[in-house]
Amino acid sequence: MAAEKQSAGADKTQERRTEGAAPTGWRAHRREITFVVLFLLLLAGSFTLLSWSPVNDGFVVPFTAGVAKVSGWALDLIGQDVQMSGTIIRSPRFAVNIENGCNGVETMLIFLAAVIAFPAPWSARLTGAVLGVVAIQLVNLVRVVALFLTGAYFPDFFDASHTVVWQTVVILFGVLLWIFWADRFARPRRAEAA
Amino acid sequence: MPRKKKPSTTRPAEPRGLRFGVFLRNLLLALVPVVLVWMFLTPFLDNFLRVAGESLVHLTESPDVTRLLPAAADRHYAQVQRLDFPPARRNVSNFRVTDVHFPFVLLGILFLAVPEVPWRQRLSRLGWAALALLLFDVVLVLFWVKFIYATQLGAWSLEHYGAFARNFWGLGKHVLDLPIKLALPFALWVGFYLDRLLPGRGESAAG
Repeated sequence: MAAEKQSAGADKTQERRTEGAAPTGWRAHRREITFVVLFLLLLAGSFTLLSWSPVNDGFVVPFTAGVAKVSGWALDLIGQDVQMSGTIIRSPRFAVNIENGCNGVETMLIFLAAVIAFPAPWSARLTGAVLGVVAIQLVNLVRVVALFLTGAYFPDFFDASHTVVWQTVVILFGVLLWIFWADRFARPRRAEAA
Repeated sequence: MPRKKKPSTTRPAEPRGLRFGVFLRNLLLALVPVVLVWMFLTPFLDNFLRVAGESLVHLTESPDVTRLLPAAADRHYAQVQRLDFPPARRNVSNFRVTDVHFPFVLLGILFLAVPEVPWRQRLSRLGWAALALLLFDVVLVLFWVKFIYATQLGAWSLEHYGAFARNFWGLGKHVLDLPIKLALPFALWVGFYLDRLLPGRGESAAG
């Protein structure tokens, strides 16, 4: 009987140890929940901040004008006869106004929020953030140029291309970039972690 | 007397790491089938979101005066009608419903691309995530309609919506329709697969 009690006590201790090692219920998902909540809060917070008039006028509008200017140069480079006027790119065939949503800022915010929310070393986060933002802007440049050419030569496809195809492509690129960063650069190497 | 051990309630351990090359290959392989399935489902999704969105809008108004109908020129658009307006002004605005639900493509390819997941588990996770995205889309339709009412109808908007309500529906639609709509497939994917990217429990992430 005493041996049984001892054995039961040992079992309970073992169970407690097991619980300590592998949490159950919502605690088992604590890291996922923390990441998703932090990510969505950062995303909604930063986007709300950028929508505030002083920030929009002082940062987003000049940034969007810069995106339009670089896109105009790129179109000029490939032989399109374009003229710039603020955020408007105009050619004899087509004109487009680069607005919020076309400047790659949403994808940048999604990427940056995910980088900040991920439990990685700060040096890895900083490197990832800088390189990621540059890469996203390069892909966004390709998007604006491609959309302009679509509008000029295949106008029937412009609407679907603008809202569905290229938005998916740019967001997917940002997501893949984050997954690549998190998988390859943000996790400690096994040898270091051991 | 030996006691029966309780079956473990902990999750089976996920394989660590994602094998990015395989993930990318799977993603490209999944792209065309997922787009085709989405295109096939688009009329049903358009219809469901119009009907469910209209029902949700009715919860915020009395009597029920809002109708969301397929636009005559393009059935992918929802025509927003108010039955309490004179017939000539009933069609107050419209929006493209496919723009609301196209993130299903992103959701599908992300969930189908993860390597080393049994198909049953993969499809079950995709199903739960798709349900969450569909519910979000219905809420987004509500925000679209309320945004139109609160900010796009000139004097009528000013008369029926105060400053707080106009800002709430305007900012809410803006935040939900751009960053949250685009990021939600990724957030749902992370909810199921973050464990593959994080250091194992007990490993340190500090560098």
